[in-house]
Order: sequence, then C-alpha cells, then structure tokens
Amino acid sequence: MIAPSRVGGPAPAVHPPEGLGASLGRLASRHPVVWRLSSLVLFFLAWEIAGRVPISYAFPTFSATLVALVSMMADGSLFVAYGSTLQPLVIGIAISGVVGVVLGIVMGLSRMAEWLAAPLFVVLQAAPMAALIPLITFVYGIGLLAKTLAVIMLALPVIVLNGYKAVRNANPSLVAMCRSFQGTKLQQIAKIIVPDASPVIFAGLRLGLAAGFIGVILAELLITPTGIGDLITYHRSVANYAEMYAAVVSIILVSTLTLAALESFETRLLRPEKRRG
Amino acid sequence: MCKSVSGVKAGFMALALGAGLLMSSAADAGKVRVAFGDIASVESLHLLAAFERAKEQGVDIEVTYLKSEDIAAQAVVGGQADIGVGGPYALMQKVKAPIRMFLQLSTLRFYPAVNGQFYKTWKDLNGQEIAVHSRGSGTEAIMKLMEDRQGIKFSKISYIPGSEVRTGALLQGNVKATIVDSSGRRLLETQAPGKFVILPLDGVNATDEALFANQAFLDKNAADVDKIVEAIVQTWRDVTANPGVVTEWRAKYKLMPDLPAGQVAEILPYFQELAQGNAFPLNGGGAVAAKDDFAFYTLSGQLTGEPANLKVADFWDTRSLDRALAKLGTK
Repeated sequence: MIAPSRVGGPAPAVHPPEGLGASLGRLASRHPVVWRLSSLVLFFLAWEIAGRVPISYAFPTFSATLVALVSMMADGSLFVAYGSTLQPLVIGIAISGVVGVVLGIVMGLSRMAEWLAAPLFVVLQAAPMAALIPLITFVYGIGLLAKTLAVIMLALPVIVLNGYKAVRNANPSLVAMCRSFQGTKLQQIAKIIVPDASPVIFAGLRLGLAAGFIGVILAELLITPTGIGDLITYHRSVANYAEMYAAVVSIILVSTLTLAALESFETRLLRPEKRRG
Repeated sequence: MCKSVSGVKAGFMALALGAGLLMSSAADAGKVRVAFGDIASVESLHLLAAFERAKEQGVDIEVTYLKSEDIAAQAVVGGQADIGVGGPYALMQKVKAPIRMFLQLSTLRFYPAVNGQFYKTWKDLNGQEIAVHSRGSGTEAIMKLMEDRQGIKFSKISYIPGSEVRTGALLQGNVKATIVDSSGRRLLETQAPGKFVILPLDGVNATDEALFANQAFLDKNAADVDKIVEAIVQTWRDVTANPGVVTEWRAKYKLMPDLPAGQVAEILPYFQELAQGNAFPLNGGGAVAAKDDFAFYTLSGQLTGEPANLKVADFWDTRSLDRALAKLGTK
C-alpha cells in the first residue's frame, strides 16, 4: 500500500516528542538487562563525577580505578592475591556448608538438638564478629587456621539457622501425606522434608557464602595482611588509592558473581519450575 | 546531558561544602586538634608532656587517638584534625595532599633480633626467612637495606604486624629472625638472656614519626605552631639531659594516670636508653632529616623517583622550626 503524499502541510515529525522515552521503555521491558546495565552506568557515572570533584584526596575516579584493576590483573598480582585469599574461604565455606546443613536439619528434626545448639548459634549470629576475630589469634595464632575459623564463625550460624527453620517449617500436609502413604521416617526426611526445605536451605547457603566473604576480608584486615587484605592495606599505606579501591571492587565482583553462580546452580538443578521459559 | 552532569556536580559540591561547614562549625575556634595514629603509651609520654608545656604557653591543645596513622593523616587532610602524628610522605607525593611536615619527633629505632642457636651474624641470614611488620613498612625497608649492604638474600619475607607479636613469636620459637622495637628488645633480654642476638644496624636514620598539618593551617596559625615546636624541641633536649624528668612530668601533669605498675617501671629505662643512644632529634629534623628520608623511603616504596630530585619544600614546611632554632640555638 502506498501512503498518500502530502503536499504543502507541515512535514510529519520523524520522532514524536514522547517517542524516545516510550521506545526506551519498550526496549527495557523487552530486555530487562538494559535496566540493570543503566543502573550500573549511572552508578559509575556518579562515581566518576565524585572522583573528579574530588570529594576527598583519597577518592579515585572510576576510570583510574578501572585502569588500576586492569593493570593489577595484567601484572598478575590480583591473581596471586586471590590464590591466598581463596584458601581459607573455600575451606571455611566447605566446612560451614556441610556441617551447617547437617546440623540445621538435625536441629529441625530433634527438639533436644535444638535446645542444645540453637541458643549458641543465635548468640553467634548476633555477636559483633569484627570485635571477636582478633581474639581468635590469642588461641589459634595468625595462620590459615585462624582465618578459616573467622570464615566459619561468620558463615556457619546463618547456614545452621536457615536450615533449622526450613526443616521445622516443612509443609505439614506433605508430611501427613507421606505418613498416610505409609512412608518410613527416613523416606519422610529424605523425600519430603529436605526437598521441601531446600529453597530456604539454599538461601542460607547463599547468605553463608556472602558472610564468608566478609569473614575472610575481616580476617585479612584484622589478623595478618595476606591476599586481598594485603593489597588493600599495602596500597593504602603507600597512598595508591586507585589500586586500593580496585582491590575492594574486585572482591565485591567476585563475591557477587559467586553468589549469582550459586543461585543459577540452584535454579537449574533443584528448582526446575523456577527456570524462566 | 551536559547540563544534568553539571547539575549533579554542583550537587556534590554543595554536599561537600555543607559537610565542610558542619565540620568547621563543630571545631572550636582557636583549639588545636592533634590526631595520634595510635593509642597513648609509655613511648608517647614525653610528647604528651611537651603538649602540656605548650598549653602553659597559651596554646589550647586537644588530643585524639585514632586507629592508625593513615586515618590520622586522612583526618588532617579532611579538616577534622589540625595536626597529625606520623610520616605521610606517600600521601603528599602521590595524591598531592596539601599537607606539610614541620617537626621530626623520632627516627626509626628497630633492632634485628635472631635466635642465637641458629644465627650469629648477618651473613648467616643468607637464604633464610625473616619476619617484618608489613609490606611497604619501615621494618621491611630496613631489612631490605641491610640485605643490599651485607650482600645477602633472604629466602622469604613474611609479614607479622605488631612488634610485640613478633617478639612473642621469637620467644616461642615460631620465627627465628625478625626485627623488634626497643621494648621488644628489652623483653627478649629479660625473658631469655643470651638466647637472642641483636644484629648491628648502622646508618639507618629515617623519620618514624613527625608532626604534620595542612599548609593553610600552618600559614594561619604560625604563632601556635611556633609555641608547639619550641615546647617539643626544648622537651627533647631536657629528656636527653635528664631522662628521669619524664616521671616527674607524668606526676605533675597527671599524664596516663591509669598506667599499670609494670609499665610505670618501664618509663625510666626506656627514656634512659633513648637518651644514651641520642635518639631524640634535638634539632627537629628539618631539611637534613628530609634528605635522609628521601633516600630511605624511596627504597621502601613510600616515595618514588630519584632521592636527589625530590624537593624538601614539597614535603616540609621548616619556617616554624627555623624560628624555634634561631631562638633556642642548635645542638
């Protein structure tokens, strides 16, 4: 079909005034990642401006931090640092994950175990860990053991308490169904309670992992400077603020990516119904 | 877009300005706020006494204790403190912070200590592991300097923050070679006489702590700064002549009244040792100290560039010190 030609009248606007906003909105609703990216871009822009004002002599711009991050990756110092930071983190998270989930399930199933252990973990979760971590050194020295313990102290309580609450609040009608189908106690736990509790247990694991990252950085800043903690303290002491911020940003990135990976692992393997079509 | 960026920028400026105003209104007019980078200890008694003597000359001084030297330096740069204690060379060179040092308080006094069962001399440390305070610290620079001078190479440098922690590790046998401060050295000598060897350390003469302030503060408050500098230089000379006077000042000015008896007993030996070793900078450092520092801190990584090309005026403001020395004479 051919559009009727207009002669003499005002030329039609190629983009109506509200067109840009509307088309952006359409783009964003079709690709939600656009919103997320634009939020990041806005944040980095604000950072760049704040660094250029500058709000402090010790506050680098976003671009300087990015350059420092790339140069620390290029000279390998960042990877060497992660080599030593990840040791206590991985050991601590592995121990907290296994012990925490098992202990949480046991506490959820048995009142006796709950009375014995729950108060301890509630207190541990409420305790100001930054004040307690230096005390670890009095007993366990300054090595890998002390740092692993710091990770466990932060990660374990949240994993245990989530597991315990998840099991305790397992859907009673599902449990009753299992009983009416003459399921054994073991089947009731393995096939009904734990699968039903798994989303909250996984939420606990994610929170525990995030707490573990906090624990390992606290340990590296408060016990002995190694890995990322060393990069942060060293670059601060010689006033390389861009490098210092780059180290901080890198740990936030690694922590965020690890958490996202854990979440997608959970969605893919355990909760297929949550997967987006 | 440009307009909105400048709007945001203006917003930030307004915020920063508002914060600045809040801070300046919080600060009492005429009060000199001094920020220490550490808690007060026996080792800072003479400085506290010197501040009391400056107060007698009419300077209103308020001392606060912060977690580390970095934070004290940031407090001065940010305007929450007027004078800081430390050695912020990196801050001045790398981010061009408008602060200047104006009086040297102490030089690095450290003692390389080794377990006598294993090592006797510097040469024995070739290929061995040593422990120092932290990466980029003065203790590391001292050990690296000695590595060069002695023609040896350590197999590994490990980092254990805190001289008292390294002293304990040496006593327990966890490390065999490290570097400790003077109280650590005395502890080694009293706990295990003869077991540890203190290796000789010559020609290391770098600033450990100095007073620094914003250039604007130094320009505006020259009279107060002069009185503080005079009081400290005079105090350092008095302590060198008679170390026992520190105990008298502690009683007179009621300094650190809660000090435990064990530490009170340490006051006299500590100051006697420093006085005998002529450790107090009797002329306040100045340009001579700056030159020594350039050589040492370029080695440690705090400063970059050739020591000969660094300018004293970029790091020090010696006007108050020069006036004080003209009045008190040099030693």
